[in-house]
Amino acid sequence: MIPAEFEYYRPKDMAGVLSLLEEHGDDARVMAGGHSLIPMMKLRMADVPHLIDLQDVGGLSNIEINSDSIHIGALVTQSDIVEHAGLADVAPILREAALQIADPQVRYMGTIGGNVANGDPGNDMPGLMQCLDAVFTVAGADGERQIPARDFYEAAYMTAREDDEVLTSVTIAHPQGGYAYEKQKRKIGDYATAAAAVQITKEGGTCVSASIAMTNLSDTPVYSEAAGAALVGTSLNDAALSAAIAAMWGDIDPTEDNRGPIAFKNHVAGVILRRALERAWSRA
Amino acid sequence: MVSFTVNGVSQDVDVPLGRRLSHVLREELNLRGTKVGCDSGDCGACTVLVDGDAICACLTPVAQVAGRAVETVEGLAKTGPTALQKAFLRHGATQCGICTPGMVMAAEALLRCNTKPDRAAVETALGGVLCRCTGYTKIIDAVLDAAGRGTGPEPSAGCAVGARVERLDGAAKVMGNEAFGADVVEKSALIIRAVRSPYAAASFAFGNLEQWAEARGVRVFTAKDIPGINCFGVIERFADQPALAETNARMAGEAVALVAGSEDVMAALSFEDFPVIWTVKDPHLSLKDAAASGAAVLHKSRGDNQLIAGVVKRGDVKVALAEAAHVVEGSLRTGHVEHAYIEPEAGLAWMEGDVLNIRACTQAPVLDRDSTAKVLGLPVERVRIRPAATGGGFGAKLDLSVQPLLGLVTLLTGQPSKMVFTRSESMVASTKRHPAQMHAQVGADVDGQLVGMVFDGDFDTGAYASWGPTVAVRVPVHASGPYVVPNYSAEARAIHTNGPVSGAFRGFGVPQAAALQEQLFDQLADQIGMDRLAFRQKNALRDGVTTVCGQALSGVGIGACLQALQSRWDAALISVAGFNASTEGKARGVGVASCWYGCGNTALPNPSTMRIGISAEGTICLHQGAMDIGQGANTVIAQLAADALGVPVHQIKLIDADTAVTPDCGKTSASRQTVVSGKAAVLAATALRAKILQMANMGSEAEISLSGGVLTLIEGVARRDISLRQLPQAAYGYVLWAEETYDPPTEVLDENGQGAPYAVYGYGAQLAEVEVDLALGTVKVLKVTAAHDLGKVINPLLAEGQIEGGIAQGLGMALMEEFHPGKTENLHDYLIPTIGDVPEVVSHLIEVPDPEGPMGAKGLGEHVLIPTAPAILNAIRHATGAVLTQLPARPDRVLAAIQAAMS
Repeated sequence: MIPAEFEYYRPKDMAGVLSLLEEHGDDARVMAGGHSLIPMMKLRMADVPHLIDLQDVGGLSNIEINSDSIHIGALVTQSDIVEHAGLADVAPILREAALQIADPQVRYMGTIGGNVANGDPGNDMPGLMQCLDAVFTVAGADGERQIPARDFYEAAYMTAREDDEVLTSVTIAHPQGGYAYEKQKRKIGDYATAAAAVQITKEGGTCVSASIAMTNLSDTPVYSEAAGAALVGTSLNDAALSAAIAAMWGDIDPTEDNRGPIAFKNHVAGVILRRALERAWSRA
Repeated sequence: MVSFTVNGVSQDVDVPLGRRLSHVLREELNLRGTKVGCDSGDCGACTVLVDGDAICACLTPVAQVAGRAVETVEGLAKTGPTALQKAFLRHGATQCGICTPGMVMAAEALLRCNTKPDRAAVETALGGVLCRCTGYTKIIDAVLDAAGRGTGPEPSAGCAVGARVERLDGAAKVMGNEAFGADVVEKSALIIRAVRSPYAAASFAFGNLEQWAEARGVRVFTAKDIPGINCFGVIERFADQPALAETNARMAGEAVALVAGSEDVMAALSFEDFPVIWTVKDPHLSLKDAAASGAAVLHKSRGDNQLIAGVVKRGDVKVALAEAAHVVEGSLRTGHVEHAYIEPEAGLAWMEGDVLNIRACTQAPVLDRDSTAKVLGLPVERVRIRPAATGGGFGAKLDLSVQPLLGLVTLLTGQPSKMVFTRSESMVASTKRHPAQMHAQVGADVDGQLVGMVFDGDFDTGAYASWGPTVAVRVPVHASGPYVVPNYSAEARAIHTNGPVSGAFRGFGVPQAAALQEQLFDQLADQIGMDRLAFRQKNALRDGVTTVCGQALSGVGIGACLQALQSRWDAALISVAGFNASTEGKARGVGVASCWYGCGNTALPNPSTMRIGISAEGTICLHQGAMDIGQGANTVIAQLAADALGVPVHQIKLIDADTAVTPDCGKTSASRQTVVSGKAAVLAATALRAKILQMANMGSEAEISLSGGVLTLIEGVARRDISLRQLPQAAYGYVLWAEETYDPPTEVLDENGQGAPYAVYGYGAQLAEVEVDLALGTVKVLKVTAAHDLGKVINPLLAEGQIEGGIAQGLGMALMEEFHPGKTENLHDYLIPTIGDVPEVVSHLIEVPDPEGPMGAKGLGEHVLIPTAPAILNAIRHATGAVLTQLPARPDRVLAAIQAAMS
């Protein structure tokens, strides 16, 4: 049964969305593809008397590739990311990660906006966005503001977005160097036991920069600045990899569940990160 | 108002805009081909196309499709099955059929943009649709061959047995018009929802129910309203389960009250303020809690919380093990496993005169009738069970679910009622595979001949008896595996806890026991220094040699099954060694395991009755009361009957199970339908043939044909035509008919479990090849080669489907499935294998005829699951040295076992 009755709105523009949010405050929720929100509502994890569907709001469904940045509207689906002609050339890690999300049915409906805004620690895109140092644009009554992905996540389902704001787009500088999105899951379509997003650049045989973020190992995605720093100036030899992994361990805080005990999750996080780094380095 | 097109037709629906598309399609537009299995985007049964993309209709508010084009399974087949749907039939890609519309739509979306997909593309496109029956192999085959033409064979008279006949009941499944429990339409029906205990152990008292109900315009029913005996069970002697708990809830999810009202009221109703006051008690959540000295007992008559113990003893095992040259021992713990059929329990009840009619999913119509009548205080003649198509069962739909609840509301109100379990309700309320804690010791002599085995196991049977007694009795009979074990002592106990009720699940405890026994056999072979397959072959049961129950068997096929694996075994050992020598970080291994399984009840009567008749118009009707839950009884039993009668199988019309019109064929359980009901069908058809031959005064070799109301018999040059219209009506609307009963001959077991527990056994062995990631502990099953002795292969297409499906379930049990009440009551936290998780399966169908089975046939349905988990465990050990002591072999457990093996 779908949770009880709720009011459904489909405003034609962002002004309409924002005025509904202002009117209903905490009782309203915006929805893109609905594939995060609807299951939560069904399980009564979210009680939403007023549901605002974004799909008629223009300008949220585009992928724009500019000379130095990529702009992805909130309504762009995972499937759009997978199939976009030019995106994989400039940011192949997006496609690599999107293909590891759920299954085709979900990828057709599930959006970037929903995946990053929802705050579910199991979602793949938030960690990836932290790795890419993406900036989220949110619209509110006072206009737009930009929030870096690395500052966006506060706790499970708690983000820097205010209740009366809408996440409208994601902006990413063209990623540089080698990349990898490595995910360990229990079966096809599962959330990660651990996942690592890595972008890495090198000059000669030396690492110039490394950006590392981990998924489903804390109640938020974890951007591990220290893990990246441990690699800069190294040749990603075994000692450097071990140092980066140790630094990453200092930043994550997994809990025991059906995916395994804490020690196992730390272990898997280490293995996954090592593999991601090795793969990214080979592509750098 | 929302406007969109469905299958090309404009629709304007006036519903709340947030209502899900799945609900709107089914309830507003009456397009019930779109199924709802989980209602939260996990199973994909509701897959439809929106502007050509495959999406989950259950996650899509209808307003989101405004102005868009929706396509459902009903839109594909305008005049008959499409090429894709025909391919599903031709390849046996549909079993129960509940996932089939979703699979077909997902495949349709793929094929429109990729007319020649490869296997990887098919796996990706169908990755979001779960199937619990087929193991996916035949679905992949069907999609890859969607452009192929033709249909399966339509064999001529006498040639049905052995032919790859398509399912006779398959067209409705692939076209989406099969009616499952939730698909039965009755707009006036009261909708029932159950109030369930949130606690594993609690007493409770109700507040003012009348006031609560009146304020909401609904009716409430409790145990006090039950007119009969509020106590049912699948085995009458152990009946202990109330339809609605009276004052005590013994498990989380136990129903304590029913609320019934109109659809609109019920959809919005919250139970948050339902007037019930709980007094929570300390539950027994584990075998250890329940068996602790002084532990409170769940049922007064069962001290120590022990429901029953089963024992088999033969020879002197103490002496044998003391004198054995080689002895190994080990333990294994397993968890709750959920059946996870894609169709949650559902049904409808209504009155016809003073007869209560119930149409619901089930594996056991007559048992449903008798138990429901008992609970409702009705004579059995006043209850008629007319089963709906059943979307998978695997054992859990043997127990009552919605039947007594529907019956109570309809009987007391006189109104039709409908109840559809939610996914989580299905998972909390249905039975599970028994968690087991087992220990065993096995010994062999210097030559590798088994000399003795001790097995001891506790099986967590949960809050109520259900099939606990069957598990406790069956396990000691089977725990030796299909081997010669001259000295043997096995005991299995069913212990009550406040966990979910553990009942029947494909194998009745034997898969758990085999997972331990077969692992120990590998260790023993290694200790002796023998090849593991050769060790099994050396000790395999043979004709005339007695089993651990002292039964001498004929038609024993285990040796032939092991032999069939030899060439792959040899090749796989070489290829694995090569891989391991050249690869770091990963290791491959090969494992083998056997199974045997007695078909039907253990040393108890187990009859089936079949009726076959010919009408004056010339229709041959088979009253096929053996529930087809996807396994194929409708087709296989018709094939047997057709050949026994001597007519083409496609000339037989099936009369589906219905307690008013089909004789009792017992339960679809214990792999008994082909053997027991199949033999009854052979006997009935043979009797009918004899009547016809006698009437025509023809010899036994005469050929019978039927056309246009005329039976023609030809023998040599002699020919007789019988005009059926000129014959007098005999009975049941037939001019010619016969009915026969078959009950397999068994012997009661003595106090040491000695006797003849089953008349027919089936045998099998499987070889698993796995790859283990040594750093992560993940296991990928690469290939399973299966050899199963069916005695006589009645339908190879359906037999392969059983094997592939059983392997997928066995793989789930081995690697990922673990039910925890309160934590895994949905299909994203409870994992079952997807299309991408199952290996390539190669099946060898072995025919060592059984002297008792129909045309030599043996059962198969449960056998196929038993060897999979131990074969995988043995392959993991072969790859890594890791010995698993707990199932499932989750990555963390595998990794810990690898580390333990290295240290």
